[in-house]
Amino acid sequence: MAGIVIAYKFLSSGRIAPFTGFGWPVGEWVDAGGIDPCRHGVHACSVHHLPIWLDTELWEIELGGEVLEQARKLVAPRGRLVRRVESWNAVLLREFGLACLRRTRERVGSLPILSGYVADVGRHVVGGRVPLGAFAAARAAELRDGSRGYEQERGSQAAWLAERLGLERADVV
Amino acid sequence: MRLDRELACQEVVELMTAYLDDVLDPLDRERFEEHLVFCDGCSNYLEQMRATIVLAGHVSLELPPALEERLLEAFRGWRGS
Repeated sequence: MAGIVIAYKFLSSGRIAPFTGFGWPVGEWVDAGGIDPCRHGVHACSVHHLPIWLDTELWEIELGGEVLEQARKLVAPRGRLVRRVESWNAVLLREFGLACLRRTRERVGSLPILSGYVADVGRHVVGGRVPLGAFAAARAAELRDGSRGYEQERGSQAAWLAERLGLERADVV
Repeated sequence: MRLDRELACQEVVELMTAYLDDVLDPLDRERFEEHLVFCDGCSNYLEQMRATIVLAGHVSLELPPALEERLLEAFRGWRGS
């Protein structure tokens, strides 16, 4: 993908990048000087990547230059935070976790060897560890249906987020 | 059954130094960071490691020459064992 790509980026509270500690400005282009996935570059999400990288703040970001799309992220040489997705908050995070719990109950709740995952997901969500709950939901799906199940559950999580947050997949504009 | 890409906490801890030294290959680095998103324990451990590195970087420590030589000798022996 080339041109300006609209994508999304999860950040910790205060617009802090969770792995590098970089404090993101709003509205200013940040140039990473090239792409080296996981090392250099601006890392962001298309909608289907979102459930893997949950964090406190969700931002819409414009990506510039040649954008590399990988299985779990987008990487670009530069990016600019455009606006915060205000509807992503603690309440919606919990609702997201409860949706993961419902799907897990439907998927494995009646299977004796996997039904314990329902309690696991519930405990994590109620305890405020929603990303762990979402992961456990995907793991339960994987144990029932293989890697296809894992991807299906992550896909359901992404679809839930897209619908509730009114997001569209990353597009070139 | 276990996802090929999934890291357990023990593996994350074992990779912690390599992560901090930026020597993990891109896939392992991605798996490592993916684990950090949902694992508070490993995230906290990483933060403690980073804090320790920062603090240790500010420590001005000069050992007595004899003690320094004994320590170096011990490390040489350890590496050779």
